[in-house]
Amino acid sequence: MEKSLFRFIWKYSSRQQIFIILVTVLTYPVVYFLLELPKLIVNDAVQGDNFPRDVFGFDFDQIPYLVLLCLTFLGLVVVSNGLKFYLNVYKGRLGERMLRRLRFELFQRVLRFRLPHFRKVSSGEIIPMITSEVEDVGGYIGEAFALPAYQGGMLVVQIGFIFMQDPLLGLAAISSYPIQGYVIPLLQRKVILLSRKRVKNVRVIADKVGESITGVAEIHANDAAAWHSADISDRLYENFKIRYEIFNRKFLIKFLNNFMNQLTPFFFYLIGGYLVIQGNLSIGALLAVIAAYKDLAGPWKLLLSFYQMTADVSVKYQTVVENFDPSDIYDTDRLTSDDTVTLDGDVKFDRVSFSGGAAGQEVMDISLTVPAGGDCAIVGPDGSGRSEVLQLAAGLVSASSGKVFIGDHDLDKLTDATLGREIAYVGGAVHVWTGTIRDNLYYGLRHRPLAPPERVGDDLKNYKRRVNEAKQTKNPIYDLAADWSDLKAAGVGSDEELDQKALELLETVSLDNDIYRLGLQSRFDPSMNDTFAEKILEVRKSLAGRIASDAKLGGLVELWDRDSFNASASLAENLFFAVPSDPEISMDEVPDLEEVKKFLAETGFDEKLQQIGLKIAETMLELFANVSGDSGLLGSYSFINQDDLPEFERIVRIAKSGQQRPGLTDADRSKLTGLAFKLVPARHRLGVMTDDLRDEIIVARKRFLESVVKNGDSFVAFDPDVYLPPLTIEDNLLFGRARVDRRDARRRIDEVIRTIVEETGLRRAIIFAGFSYHVGVSGSRLSAGQRRKIALVRGLLKNAKITILDDIATGLTEDDKILRDGLRQFLSEKTFLYGTSNAEIAAEFSQSIVLDQGRISDKG
Amino acid sequence: MTLETEVEALRKVPLFRGIDETKLRLLAFISERTEYPSGERLCSQGEDGDCAFIILSGAADVLVNTPEGEKKVAQVAENSIVGEIAILCDVPRTATLVAANDMDVLTVSKDDFLKLLKEFPDISLEVMRTLALRLERTTRDLADARRGASGG
Repeated sequence: MEKSLFRFIWKYSSRQQIFIILVTVLTYPVVYFLLELPKLIVNDAVQGDNFPRDVFGFDFDQIPYLVLLCLTFLGLVVVSNGLKFYLNVYKGRLGERMLRRLRFELFQRVLRFRLPHFRKVSSGEIIPMITSEVEDVGGYIGEAFALPAYQGGMLVVQIGFIFMQDPLLGLAAISSYPIQGYVIPLLQRKVILLSRKRVKNVRVIADKVGESITGVAEIHANDAAAWHSADISDRLYENFKIRYEIFNRKFLIKFLNNFMNQLTPFFFYLIGGYLVIQGNLSIGALLAVIAAYKDLAGPWKLLLSFYQMTADVSVKYQTVVENFDPSDIYDTDRLTSDDTVTLDGDVKFDRVSFSGGAAGQEVMDISLTVPAGGDCAIVGPDGSGRSEVLQLAAGLVSASSGKVFIGDHDLDKLTDATLGREIAYVGGAVHVWTGTIRDNLYYGLRHRPLAPPERVGDDLKNYKRRVNEAKQTKNPIYDLAADWSDLKAAGVGSDEELDQKALELLETVSLDNDIYRLGLQSRFDPSMNDTFAEKILEVRKSLAGRIASDAKLGGLVELWDRDSFNASASLAENLFFAVPSDPEISMDEVPDLEEVKKFLAETGFDEKLQQIGLKIAETMLELFANVSGDSGLLGSYSFINQDDLPEFERIVRIAKSGQQRPGLTDADRSKLTGLAFKLVPARHRLGVMTDDLRDEIIVARKRFLESVVKNGDSFVAFDPDVYLPPLTIEDNLLFGRARVDRRDARRRIDEVIRTIVEETGLRRAIIFAGFSYHVGVSGSRLSAGQRRKIALVRGLLKNAKITILDDIATGLTEDDKILRDGLRQFLSEKTFLYGTSNAEIAAEFSQSIVLDQGRISDKG
Repeated sequence: MTLETEVEALRKVPLFRGIDETKLRLLAFISERTEYPSGERLCSQGEDGDCAFIILSGAADVLVNTPEGEKKVAQVAENSIVGEIAILCDVPRTATLVAANDMDVLTVSKDDFLKLLKEFPDISLEVMRTLALRLERTTRDLADARRGASGG
């Protein structure tokens, strides 16, 4: 990578830079004429005589001449500003493109790092380098050549003018330059060093903040918050010190500049005055020189600040780039090449040694052969070199001596395109990507875009522009919107078959039940798949039938019924008999919805609900007044949590006092309404629900359905014949509430739902719906075991020739044993390497190799 | 039934007789109100107990497992608390409870009951007193039984 910023700029934008300079030069005459014209207008057109004037062979009288000159002036103003506008946009665009190129290059280099290199760098340091640290470079690139060329040119012209008036004065004008030229770089060098230090310090801060976030549970578990606070605070102080020093020096440079610039007129007045008195210089010339000198200060100042900026940006560039140039970085080809070879043949280690840079991470002089299609256990505790051997076999790390072959191919010479497709590796520390389960399962099939989407009209235009920009900045032109799933590699013919295969594998690793449960809890958009929604409605109907016929079952649920009150549902659900279309809207936000507000006011329910809310708040305050906050009672049973308690105390106090001022604010009222909305009468037996109120609610419900639900799309009504997208699949199946006043009603109903779902063959569809479950940041919404299994299925779906598993399903339990048998069965045609620390498990495999301290101690 | 009526019922439970009303209200509020139709099981002998039952109305048969099958040994009626042993000392249910008629029951989960005891020591005292009384009675019964056995 280019070590210096200027080399980088010149290499990738020399043509554009020359163009910028040319256009800049083009503005010279325009600006010159623009300055000359007013003089001409005043002296010649207004005060002149002997008209008409001859312009390009046309005669002009005084007035037309004036108009002509003024119009020319106007034209030049437009041209000059237009050029400036064009130039600025051009420069900005160039800067952004170069920045994009730089950032992508940096990211691609991260992908090219060898795995052991990541032990030395942390994401907390790399991220700010690629994002914020290079930001200034973009703004600078457009000016890199144009500004010195333009302002330097101005400076030379002005100095030339002064020299022409009088060489001695010329010397005086530039007398301070040598001193400035010497002192300022000296000071600037120190500033550069300080900026480097600052950048590095900020990186450490970023890294520490990142680490604190990752390890926040440890911080609390060990009460180490004080230590971390002190650590960060110390770093911040360091930052302050460096910054302060930089300020001091920067302003010192500014001070020196200003001082020197104002010192020069001193020489002018002295030398120039002397020359005028002696009669060697006219007073007019002296004044002209002084005026010219004033014009000199502008370019000079700009050049100096450009110099400072250059130093600053260069240092930032270098400080970033030096981190992305490790000597052992992979070739770009390894990453981007589409060349693939088929890896048939035995896995062969030929006297392989490798060192990960720490004790327990090395292997020495390993020679082994695993026949194609065979299975082999690599046995050894952590630190025996087991993981390293498996990573070597996967081509993830390279041997320091010796060679790893699969068939005739040296793994070190192969590209990612081969290694990542022909070998499936699932290590002990798996990573699940933020996204859906489907994204994660099919991740191993997304190597290249396969079928681009059809684009027309604006879409096509945008796409072309995107490709064009990518080409200009050496970014890849892979289409993110294309279909990436390589069905052929997975050995299936269609998306449905792929889903089917994934389901089979999920069953093999017994993750299907988990996904089924996630599927029940997920929402789906019926417009995507009508038949599924219809099936759910069928199940709903047969469930309702079963509930109606079986009194025992009937006692466990309260189904939605337009004409009766559902005591196991909240007051809001009862009143609206509908749910907000947007499932993200929480119960606290509902009272603030425009249509809800209007409806409540019209029906007079706003007052009633506020009274109920007030009563609830009062009861809660009374009940929990003597309960300490940390007992946990409040959190699990009250509507109000500990933090909101004082707020409601205030509301109740105001409401009780009956004062008009300060009365309850709208926000307070909404809070009370929200409280009432959350009331589930069968659970919270606060005695606020009277029979009259129930009847009123049922009447009002009909009005809400008529006025709000029908006329808008912000609510979806409970309708036995309609799938309700805002509800989970499970709630849609049941179409009611399990009674909260019956023990285990929820569980018992779930069982019934499960049997009906299985009878109707809906289970698969629900599992597929579960594929769309969002797993949270890095799979945080899954358990560690689920994450491993997902990674395992991801690896198996690749249908690779060689499968390598390390530390997966290594338990001695019956479940794990069945899973291992299943894996061996599934992979019976393929080469299968399995890492474990347990010799007993290894005995299940047809071949095993025992590692001890990096050497093979036994083969069996 | 509302909280108030529940409190009235709780007041009649000997274990809670000495406890003031606001605490009873809290107890009632954090408990789950459940209905059991006649014949439904409240709990089964041998399973882990995670809650105590306060019978507001109706009655339950107490059954124990014998080699000949389940055998009714007692009946618990309104205003009594059952199953509290299981939540106090982590032992499996010592008997099966089956609703003898339609019942109305307050269910207090183990966690909440313990939290409540911690929060209000006077409830603990009352529980202790009741248990001690029961122990005294059991001891006396046992002594009587022994005397009866040796005498017979």
